Amino acid sequence: MRRLRAWFLLPGATIMAVLFFAPLLIVVLYSFLSRGAYGGVELPWTASSYTRVFDSLYLAILWRSIWVSALSTAICALLGFPLALYIARAGSNRTLLLNLVMLPFWTSFLIRIYAWMFLLRDTGLINSFLLAVHVIRQPLPLLFNTGAVILGLVYGYLPFMVLPLYATVEKLDPSLLDAAADLGASPAITVWKVIVPLSKPGILAGSLLVFIPCLGAYLTADLMGGGKSVMIGNVVQNQFTTSRDWPFGAAISLLLMAVALLVTRVIGRKGEQLL
Amino acid sequence: MNRRTFLLGSAAVATACTSAAKRRLNVYNWENYVAGSTIPDFEREFDCRVRYATYGSAEEMLAKVMSGNSGWDVVFPSNSFVQPMRELGLLARLDHSLLSNLHNVADRFQAPEWDPQLNFCVPYMHSATGILYSKSVSRLPLAWSDLWTDSYQRRVTMLDDPAEVFGACLKRLGASINSGNPVELRHARDLAIQEKPLLRAYLNEEVRDQVVAGDVLVAQMWAQVAQVAMDNSSNLAFSFPSEGFALYADNASILRESKHQQLAHEFLNYLLRPNVAAKICEEMRTASANGAARSILPKSLRENAVLYPPAKVLARGEWFRAIPAAPQRLRDRYWTEIKAA
Amino acid sequence: MKRFLALYASVAYAFLYVPLLVLGAFSFNASRIAVWQGFTWQWYRNVFRNEALLDGTIHSVVIALGATILATASGTLAAYAIWKRSAPLLTNSLYLSLLTPEIVTGVSLLAFFQWAFRYLHLQLGLDTVILAHVSFCLAYVVLVVIARLRTMDSSFEEAALDLGATEWQAFRHVTLPLLWPGIVAAALLCFTVSFDDYVVTSLVAGVNSETLPMMIYAMARRGVSPEVNALSVLITVALGALILLAGRLERR
Repeated sequence: MRRLRAWFLLPGATIMAVLFFAPLLIVVLYSFLSRGAYGGVELPWTASSYTRVFDSLYLAILWRSIWVSALSTAICALLGFPLALYIARAGSNRTLLLNLVMLPFWTSFLIRIYAWMFLLRDTGLINSFLLAVHVIRQPLPLLFNTGAVILGLVYGYLPFMVLPLYATVEKLDPSLLDAAADLGASPAITVWKVIVPLSKPGILAGSLLVFIPCLGAYLTADLMGGGKSVMIGNVVQNQFTTSRDWPFGAAISLLLMAVALLVTRVIGRKGEQLL
Repeated sequence: MNRRTFLLGSAAVATACTSAAKRRLNVYNWENYVAGSTIPDFEREFDCRVRYATYGSAEEMLAKVMSGNSGWDVVFPSNSFVQPMRELGLLARLDHSLLSNLHNVADRFQAPEWDPQLNFCVPYMHSATGILYSKSVSRLPLAWSDLWTDSYQRRVTMLDDPAEVFGACLKRLGASINSGNPVELRHARDLAIQEKPLLRAYLNEEVRDQVVAGDVLVAQMWAQVAQVAMDNSSNLAFSFPSEGFALYADNASILRESKHQQLAHEFLNYLLRPNVAAKICEEMRTASANGAARSILPKSLRENAVLYPPAKVLARGEWFRAIPAAPQRLRDRYWTEIKAA
Repeated sequence: MKRFLALYASVAYAFLYVPLLVLGAFSFNASRIAVWQGFTWQWYRNVFRNEALLDGTIHSVVIALGATILATASGTLAAYAIWKRSAPLLTNSLYLSLLTPEIVTGVSLLAFFQWAFRYLHLQLGLDTVILAHVSFCLAYVVLVVIARLRTMDSSFEEAALDLGATEWQAFRHVTLPLLWPGIVAAALLCFTVSFDDYVVTSLVAGVNSETLPMMIYAMARRGVSPEVNALSVLITVALGALILLAGRLERR
C-alpha cells in the first residue's frame, strides 16, 4: 500500500508546494516588509504591521465578522440539510436535482446580488407588492442592514453546504431509516438521532466550506449592507486596493488565517478530524 | 507560444489564422472608454490586431503592470497615478514627433499639473465629483454641508471610496482634498461619523438605478455616471458643491515594457483624432479632454454643463494627487473607524 | 415526512431561483436602468453581436473545465491517500489554502508568477489562471471526497484484497465506484467556484485571457447591465437544457 499511497499523494502535494506554499511564503515576507510608497513593498524589515493588527478596532471588526459568518453558516446548515436529504432520496432524479441546485450559481455572483438589491429596495418588488396589497404603509427597510448581509451570504454559499451534505447523506442505507421507523421512532427523531449523527462529516465539511468564505467576504457587505458596516474581508481588501498597504494587508490575512485555523481545529477536535 | 496554443484549444482556432503575421497591440483600458467601432476601425486601418481588455480600478491595473512583464502596451492611468507610475519607471517617454494630433488636446489639459510637458501621458477623459439629486427635494443640495442636514429622510448616499468621502468632508472644512494634515483629517473623520446616521448607504455607481427609481434622493456621484442617470430621468439634477469638489482625469500612456512602441504611438495618435474621440464621447456619454473633438460634438453634448462645467465652476475644483505613505495610513485607519462606527 | 421534505424542497428551489427570474425579466427591459420601461429583444441581439463576450465565455469554460479536471483528479487521489493514513503536512496546507482570503490568494499568486516568470521569460495567460484555480479548488475536492470516504465501510476493499486483488485493482474497481457521488459533487463545486471566480482571476489573468466574470464586472460596475442579464439568461437556459438532457439520458 505504501507505494501506491505515495503516488496518490504526489500530484496534490506538488500542487500545494508550488502553488500554495511558495506564494504563502511571499505573503509572510510581505507582512514583515514596509509599505511601498505607491503599493508593493520595500525594505526595511519591520514587525510594525503586526503591532498595528492587535488593536481593539480591528479585533472588534474580526469578532463581528466571526459571529455574522457563524450565524450565516448555521442558517445554511438548517436550510441545506433537509434539501440534501430530499435530493439524496429522490431516486433516479438525484443528479438532476443536485444540478438544479447549482444552476443559479453559474450566473455571476455580482449579478445575483444586484437582483437581490432590486427585490429588497424600497421601490423593489417585495415592498411594492406589500404596499399594493396594503399590508404595510411604509416600505420596510429590507436592504442595507446586517440582515440583508446575512441573506446575501446564505444565498451565496448555500450550495457549499448542500454538496458535501449530499455526498454523505446519499450514502446512508435506507434500510437503516426503515429500521428506525419499525422500532417506532417518529420521523423527526429518526432524523435527529440517526441521520444527523451519521452525516456529521458532511455537516462539518459543509460548515467549513461556508464559514471560511463568509469570513473573507467583502462584496456582500459592500452591496447588501450598503457599506455601512465592515467585515474583516473589507479591511483586507482595502489594504490591497485603495490604501495600497500590502504589508498590513498580509499581516491581517495571516491573523485571519490563524483565527480560522483555530476555529476549525476546535470543530475538528470535537467531531472527527475534518480532513 | 506552443504551450498556450495547446491550452487555448478551440478558443485559438478562431483567431489563429488571421493573427499570425499581423502586428499586435495590447490595450488595457477602463470600461466605457471606447466606442463599438473604435478598435475594429483601428485594426483595419493599421492592419494589426488589438487585444483589448478593461479594468475596474487603477489599483488593479497598477498591481498588474508593476512587475514590468505584464504584456500590456497601452494603459490609462488616472491623473494621481501618473506621477507614481513614472517614479516606478513604468511609463515610456512619449515621442511627440509621432503624435501629430497632440495639438487637439484642450487648452485646459495642455500642461496638466501631473505631467506639464505631456512627456508620459496624453489626457483622455475627465470628470468630477458632485451631488446627483432629485429635483423634488425641499432643499437643493448645492453644498456639501447640505448633506449634514436632516432634509432628505435618510435617503442619501455617499461614495464607498475613502478619497471621495474625505474629499467632501475636507472641502466642507475648507481644506484641500489631498490634505495630509492629521488635525484636518481627524476633523474630517468626525464629520463623516456625524453624517453616517443620515445616510442610507455608501455606494458607488451601483446607486445609479436607485436614484432613478426614487429610492435615493441625494447621492455623492461622479459627473459621468450622473449624466447617464439624468439621461434616464428628467427629474434629476447635478450640482458642483459650492465649497469645492474633486476633479479627475484619465490619461493614455505607453508602458516602458512595451515591445510595440511604434504601433502604440500610432494608437494614441489615432485616439487623438477629433472624429474618433467625438464618436467615443457621443456613444459613451463621457467628457473628452480632446478640445477639437468637443467642438464637433452635437450642441446638446458640447454645452452639457455636467460633463463640461463652465470655467467659473471648474475654478472650485481640485485635482486628486497621490497621497504619501504616512497620511494614507492615517486615512485608512480613520476610514475603518468611520465604517465601524 | 416525504411530503414535508418535498414541500420544503420546492420552497428552497424557489429561494434559489427568484433572483434569476428578476434577471430574466430585466433582460427584456427597454431601459438600461433597473426600472421597467417596456419590452425589447435589443440586449439579446447585442450579446450575439459581441465577439469579445463569446471569447470570454470560451475562456471561462476552458479554464473551469481544465481546473476541474486537474483538481478533481489530484484531489480525489490525495483524499484517498489521506484517508488511508494521515498526511499532516498536506492536510494542514490544504486547510490553510482554504482559509486564505481570496484577495491574498490572488496577490500572492500574482507575485509568485511574476517573480518566477522573470527568470523563465513567460507571461501570464490562460494557463496561469488554470493553475491558480487548481490551487484553490484542490482543498474543496479533498474536503468533499473525504467526507464521503469517512462514511464508507473499508471492509469491501479489504475483502477485495483478501480475494487477491492488487491495491490498484481494489481502489479502481471497489472504492472508486462507491466514491462516485462524492467525486461528482466535488467536481460540480470546483466548476462552479472556478466559473464564477473574479478576484483571483482578474489578478492572475494575462493579456490574452479575459474571462466572462471579468467582463461582467467591468460591464456591470455601474449597476444592472441589460446585456449581462441577457447573457446570464442565455447561459442559464443553455446549461439548464444540458442538465435536463443529461438527466433524461441517465434515467434511460
